[in-house]
Formats: sequence, C-alpha cells, structure tokens
Amino acid sequence: MLSSRVTQTAFVLITVSALLLAACSGATTAPSASPAAAATAAPQAPAAGSSEISIGVAVAQSSNVSLFGQEQVLGAQIAEKYFNDKGGVNGTPIKLVYQDTAGDEAGAINAFQTLINDNVVAILGPTLSQQAFAADPFAEKAGVPVIAPSNTAKGIPQIGQYISRVSAPVAKVAPNAIAAALKINPDIKTVAVAFAQNDAFSKSETGTFQQVITDTYKFDLATVQTFQTTDTDFTTQASNIMNVQPELVVISGLAADGANLIKQLRDLGYTGLIVGGNGLNTANIFPVCQAQCDGILVAQAYSPQLDTAINKQLVDTYAAEQKKTPGQFTAQAFAGVQVLVEALQAVDQKTPIKGMALADLRTALNEQLLSGMIFDTPLGEISLDPEGEINQSQFYVAQIKMDSDGKTGQFVLLK
Amino acid sequence: MNATMLAQQILNGLAVGSVYALFALGYTLVFSILRVINFTQGAIFALGAYFTYLFTGSAFGFNGLLANAALPFGLPFPLAALLGGVLAGLVAIGVERIAFKPLRDKGADPLLTLVSSLGMAVVIVNVIQYLVGAEIYSFPASVMAGLPAALTFGPANNPIRIRTVQVIIFGVSMLFVVALTLMVNRTQLGKALRAVAEDATTASLLGINTDQLIQFTFFMSGLLGGIAGVLIGLSVSIAGPYFGISFGLKGLAVLVLGGLGSIPGAVVGGLAIGLAESLVPPDFVAYKEVIAFLFLFVFLLVRPQGLLGRPLTQKV
Amino acid sequence: MSNFLTTYGALIVSMVFAAMLALSLYLPLMAGQLSLASPGFYAIGGYVAAILSTTVFNTGESPYPLTFVVVEMLVAALASGVLAMVIGTLALRLRGIYLALATIAFVEILRVLALNLPITGGAIGIFGIPQPFETSLGYLWIAGPMLLASAWFVYRLERIRAGRALVAIREDELAADAMGINPTFHKVMAFTLGAILAGLVGVISAHFLNTWNARQGTFDASIAYLAFVLVGGSRTFLGPIVGGMALTALPEVLRAVAGTPGLPIELAQFLREGRMILYGILIVAVAVSFPQGLITPALLRRKRAVKP
Repeated sequence: MLSSRVTQTAFVLITVSALLLAACSGATTAPSASPAAAATAAPQAPAAGSSEISIGVAVAQSSNVSLFGQEQVLGAQIAEKYFNDKGGVNGTPIKLVYQDTAGDEAGAINAFQTLINDNVVAILGPTLSQQAFAADPFAEKAGVPVIAPSNTAKGIPQIGQYISRVSAPVAKVAPNAIAAALKINPDIKTVAVAFAQNDAFSKSETGTFQQVITDTYKFDLATVQTFQTTDTDFTTQASNIMNVQPELVVISGLAADGANLIKQLRDLGYTGLIVGGNGLNTANIFPVCQAQCDGILVAQAYSPQLDTAINKQLVDTYAAEQKKTPGQFTAQAFAGVQVLVEALQAVDQKTPIKGMALADLRTALNEQLLSGMIFDTPLGEISLDPEGEINQSQFYVAQIKMDSDGKTGQFVLLK
Repeated sequence: MNATMLAQQILNGLAVGSVYALFALGYTLVFSILRVINFTQGAIFALGAYFTYLFTGSAFGFNGLLANAALPFGLPFPLAALLGGVLAGLVAIGVERIAFKPLRDKGADPLLTLVSSLGMAVVIVNVIQYLVGAEIYSFPASVMAGLPAALTFGPANNPIRIRTVQVIIFGVSMLFVVALTLMVNRTQLGKALRAVAEDATTASLLGINTDQLIQFTFFMSGLLGGIAGVLIGLSVSIAGPYFGISFGLKGLAVLVLGGLGSIPGAVVGGLAIGLAESLVPPDFVAYKEVIAFLFLFVFLLVRPQGLLGRPLTQKV
Repeated sequence: MSNFLTTYGALIVSMVFAAMLALSLYLPLMAGQLSLASPGFYAIGGYVAAILSTTVFNTGESPYPLTFVVVEMLVAALASGVLAMVIGTLALRLRGIYLALATIAFVEILRVLALNLPITGGAIGIFGIPQPFETSLGYLWIAGPMLLASAWFVYRLERIRAGRALVAIREDELAADAMGINPTFHKVMAFTLGAILAGLVGVISAHFLNTWNARQGTFDASIAYLAFVLVGGSRTFLGPIVGGMALTALPEVLRAVAGTPGLPIELAQFLREGRMILYGILIVAVAVSFPQGLITPALLRRKRAVKP
C-alpha cells in the first residue's frame, strides 16, 4: 500500500499537472476553428479550408438558473438546424459552441473568456442581467459582438458598443399588463405589489410596475411585500396582501416562488386579478399553481400565437420535440441566433467573409447588427438601434387558461 | 394589526413553523447522537421528494440523462411516500459510510465532517440535476383530490384560513416528534442511542454496537428528511434539486433555538421562528429573513443551549 | 502561452483572490476558531469600493487612479476592523460549531441588509465600477503583491509569540489561559486580521468584477472558503493558498478537459455538465483521506529534510 506521504504528494502533483494539461490543451482546443488559427497570436476567421462559422452560446446550463438556460439552449439548437438547413451563411453552415456560465458572475466571465479564445465570431448570452454586467465588458474589450437573449435590466446595451440585446427592457413590457388588467376590471382602485428582493431582474421590474401604478394610473399602492426566490412559504405575505383588500395584485419573481405565492393567495381566498411579471412568463409555473394559474395576466415580449411563418416554424418544431409550446426564453434565443445569421449573410454579400481576419469580421458583424436592418423573427419585426437596444413594436398580453386536468395550460393572447 | 389579522398570522406562523420543525427533526437526530451537523440533509430531503415522484409513476421532463423516464406502474401516494422516505434513508446510510465513518474512525476534527457532508450534498444535488434536469415537478393533483384547498374558521365575512396541506404537515410533524421522543426515552433502542450520545467509547465497551446504531440514526434521519421533502413537495411542488438546500440554513437556526440535540426542541424552535417571522409588521416584511438569524445570534450569545437543550459544560 | 494567459487571465486573478480569502479564514482557525464570517467582510469591502468609486471618487478618469483604490482599501480595512472587533468580542466566547453558527448568522444578516438598503442598490447592486486596469491580468499587479504580503505575514505570525499563542489556544484553551495567555485578546486579534484581509480582497474584487451585489457575500461562499482551507491544509499557511487556488481552478480545469479533442462524447458531456459532481467527489475524497489537508507541516518538513 502506498504510504500516505506518497499519495499526498501524488494528489498535489496530479492537480498541478491537470491544470497545466488543461492550459496546453486549451490553447489547441478550438472544436471548430482550424488548427492553424488557434496557434497564431492574431486569430484568423474561418480560413479557406475551414467550413463552419462558430458562434458562442454562453448560458446557464448548470445551477438553478439552468431552468432558463435549458430553454435558451433549445431555442438556439432549433435555430441552428433551421438556418443550416436553409444554407447557413450563404452556403457556410454555422456551428454553435456552448460554454456553461453556471449561475454566477465569475462563471459567466470564464465562459466568455473561453469562447473568445475559441475564436467565435459572436456570443449569445448570458442568461442573467447580473452576469451580463460582469462578463460583457470582457467581450467589449475583445471586440466580440454580444447578443443578449434575456437581459432585460436597465443599462445593458450601454455597457459597450459591441453589446446588444433582443430582449425588450422591462420598462417597455411591463406596463402593458396593467393596461390589460384595467380593461378587464375598470374598477381597480387598490393594488398590492410583491417582488423577489434577492433577484436583480425582479427588483428592476417591480420599480417599473410601481411607477406605472402610482404615476400613470394613480392607483392606491396599498402595500409592497417582499420575498426571496428561495422561499416556499408565502402565507405571511399573502395575508398581508389580503388585508388591504386589493383588486389587483402584481407579482415580480421567478417561476417557482411567484407561482407558489399565487397558489397560496388563491388558497387563502383571494379572488381578484393577478398580474405576473416576466419571470412568470413560462410554462414552468403550471406544475406549481396548477388549476390556480388560471386567469393570471402576463405581459410578454413573445407570443407563440403570433401568426408569422417563422414563428409557426419555431412553435411546430419545438412542439414536435417537447410536446408543449415554446416560451419567451426559447424564442428570444432563436431570435438571437437569427439576428446573427442574417447579419452575417448581409456582411458576406458586401465582402466575402471567407478569408476575412477574425477581428475585422467581428467588427463588420457588429456594424451590420446596429445598422438598423430589420429582422423578421418569432418576436415580430425587430431591429437594433445604434446603442444596441432592441426596437420592438409588438408586445403581447396573455391570460393563462388552464385545461380541465389542471396540469397543462395555454398563454392565451388577449386582443 | 386587528384581531383577525393577528389570528391569521399566528396560524400562518404555526404552519410554516411546522415545516421548519419537520426539516429540523432529521438534523437534530444526527446531531444529538454524533454531535455533527449533517449538511446532506437538504439534499436527502430533495431525494425523498424525487423518489416519491418516481414511484407515483409520473414522468420526468425532457432534460437530463433520464429524459422522459417513468416507471411502468404508479403506486398510491402514501405508499410511494413511504418508499421514497425509505430509499432516502438508505442513501443517508450510504452518506454516513462514505463521508462520516472514515473521519470518525480517525478521530478527525468535526469540521471536516462538515465539509465532507457538504461535498456529498453537492454530489447528490448535481447527480439529481444530471439525471432529471432542473425543472419543477409536482405530485399528481389526485393526491389532494376531495380535500378542500384550505380549512376555514371564523365568521363568513371575515374568515381565517389555513391550507389543508399545512394542517397535514403540522399533524405529521407532531406525530413524528411524539414517536421519536417515545422511542428515545422509552425503548431499549432509545436507551442505547442515548448511551452512544453520551459517550460513544464507553457505550461500545458496554457491548452496544455503536456502528449499527449510528447507521440506524442516519437511516431514521434520512427517512424523516425524505418524508419531509415529500410533504413540502406536496405543498409547494418540487422546485428543482436545490429546493432543499435553502432549508438547511434556516434549519440551523431552528436547531440552536430549540436546543441542539433536543427532539422536542426542534419543534419548539421551528414553531418559534415561524411565529416570529409571520408576526413581523407588514411594512417590514423584507426583514423577515433576518429574524431567524437574529434569534440565532442572540441565543448563541445569551443561551447557547437554546430553549430546551442541556446547559453546555466545558470539559477540562 | 499568450493564448493561455488571455483565456485564463481572469481565472488566475480569481485564484489569487481565493487564496487570500482562504487565508482570511485560516487566521482565526489558527486559534481553533471556526469563523465563517469572511464573506461578510468581503462584501463590506466590495460595497465600500463600489459606492466610493461610483459616487465620491467618480472622476471619470480612465483607468481609475490607483491612489483611489488605496484609499478605498484603507476605508474598508477600517470598517471591517472595527466591525470585527465588536462582533468578535461578543461572539468569540463561543466555541466550535456555536461560533460557526454565530458567524453564519452574521453573514446572513448582512446579506439581507444589503438587499434592502437603498445605498447598496438592493438585488441589482452597483455596476459600472471603474477599472484601474485594462485587462484582467493587470489586476495581478495588485493581487500578486497582496497575496505575497499576506502569505509572508501569516508565515511570520506562525513564528512569533503571538502566533504560537494562537496555536496554544487551539490546542487547549484552558491550559493556555492558565499559562498567562489572554485568549480573548488573541482570538479577537486573529478574527480582526482575517476580517481586514477579507475586506481588502473585497475592494479589489469589486473593481475586477465590474459589478457588486448581495450575492457576493453568502453562506455558499463561506463553505467554499472552508473547503479551501480544509482541503488545502489547515495547519500551515501554504495550505489555504494551495487549496484556494486549486479548488477555484478545478471547475475550469474540468471545463477545459471536457474540450480536449478526441474524448468520447459521453465523457465530454459528463465533464461539461457534471463538473460539479466531480468537484463534490473530490472534496469528500480529500476531506476523508487527508484530515489535515493536502499540504501538511509533516509534508513540508519531510521535503525540507530530503534536500541534500
């Protein structure tokens, strides 16, 4: 039996060599770039001989944020197949390279760095706005375009020239739901708001909701309750809410917590209207509130019921594989890939991208993205303004209608 | 707060308190015998819920290695829950063998068991995620069919309500406490457990098979944790593999407040914290989280043995 | 090699920070005190830097002047030090797991305060923190010397009377007290030193990460630092440093290994998505097989003895 001394030293040596091994293999590993490209200091774009354009996807594939990341991966995969089947970028297929950001800022930074050094043309991601604030500056410094598929906090496109997003900011989406609620019940006077205090997105969204409630509609904001995304019991907050007898309750949170709050509100006897924020804009809430999800109003940047060819394509492909309708995260990821592919096609038509230096290609792509060209995506017709902010004219409000079995439901578009 | 509100919040507090208590029971059992905190409790809690979900014949989602897997049969819920708890208990024994026993045999610092049990928790939670993905699952609605969503008390125009499933949880945790206390205080087995808790070496010298008893303790704590996971999963659905981890932290506060190692203490501590949290004035609900930890901090300074624990003596 | 540095520059800096944070936990541990309070002071340091650099010191100069960073560090050190002395004097009468729990409570309370006070920006936190360096690797200009200085400090501490007093307290507090060593003074001193170190790392981390929020100082972080020390080595100053660096690098090493060409697909997929499983297994394996951690005084003595 080896002495513990030897084993100990061995352990240490193994750890160190693994790190070195990773370092060396990291320099030569670039699954889709040609070997010559990786070794040089000035990376080349897909050189003559390489047959794919690699696009990085940095979303949360592990940790509890993976609930959203999983949906984004699906959207990206469907887009990859769809566009490659149509010939990719004027004949050259695209290849999506995935790096898991996990749920925190450091993981996002690491994922971005790995992708940048894998010579991707652009990056789709990260999942959370918080991660974006940390990781996007690295892409900006490296001159790599970033398309954010799900960052909706204020200030994201302003991080840098190369940072854009296809996810409409909270300030645009949220107010529509209140308007819809008023249409259903014109007698709304008292409103209660609840939000997840430990989630940056929810905090940002509730700011918008509260402002709209007090300034635009002049309702009486009777109480603001907070909870944590990790909470499971909301009876205290629910009772506080019911005590002020509101006609409308507005909730900003994520799927599990938001849906549990709603279920407990209904269990304890609340019968008024409920508006859910963007975090509840997912079929993931159905298992939680089940039959009591019925009637929730949600403002969306995406509706599966939008009747355009490309949206039907997305919805049908997704439904064939997953047996349900795609949600906002999936559609926005799809749109992100689409935007990159179509911009690349436009760049290629002006100057052939084969043989372009990678840095030049990335810059040309970014310019094309921000040129105001219109993309016909499942989100509707969108374009990017010079700052990288999305111009989206169509927003939707849906009301949830649960099926009789209480397990499945639809987000029914309200006209 | 008027009288109805007060009564409602007290009811809410007792309800959430019994959830904390149920979780803490498994924790306190291991602590009382081994003087170590088993950080895998949160992961085993989740496991119990997932196992039971599997046994009810429900299907897993499309992510993970076991995409769309489902058992070809479905057991009635109480049986599935029991089986889920038993399996969770067996996993707990596995955890003990891997992460606790080797350290105990070496006489290592209890801090190391803290870290190794945490490592096991990371492994278990990530294995669950790898196998079945991170989606939210819930038990079939048929489990609660026929029962009203909430029980109502008081006048019709100003009722107070409590969710039915929380009444069940309260009942079950009381049942467990009584059963555990009886077992520890009135049975031969319980006597042996107390002997091991007092001094493991002497107990083994007296012919008690400490190793087996420790395994039994872990099994029980895993069973309790697993069933707690099932019940809470029933109440709020299984929100991903991490849904037990957040209880771990609050559970510590419950343990200290009630008295580390005291079984009735786990319930008293849980209810106390639950009540304190729900009675926070509505405008300060944001600081509800601080309550548990403020209690923890203050009690540690003032009365570390908690409400029902034995006063700590310093061995020279 | 330059490719390696560009890809892993951020990781290397994170590793250096982790090593220092592990040291901040090691300091009270030398006296036998398991304090999980470091993330709280780390968060405080970060907030000091974030708030000062985005308000009072916000001159818009780029890169952000290093003198301001030094001032932030002084403020953070003061804040952490004073708070640590107060908390320490209150809490360090507790032993073992009770002290650990008290420090856990402290960190949680700080976290909830950070989520709710307007000045900290709540869950959104503070972003757009000015950068004193252009590249991630540039941070090594500060982080490197800081690590060397703190390592040297702890190394010297182990050898002077105060340090030996800490070890004496760890081995047997009553006996040390009987011998005339003031336990409370020494314990609070170790605790405060650890807190100041964590606060300083917080300051530079805030600049490094561009953004700071309540998620930087949580219970999960406490456990990570504890793992660094217990896996790396809890009896010598080199242990936390090695542990901090190795465990921070590990998930990324696994990510890189997953990318090696020629690996069977299932293995690569497992390495990518099941990284954390391997991480957990490693923690358990080391904790169980090496109770004093990987780097022990015995190992170092033996190495020294073997040299001709």
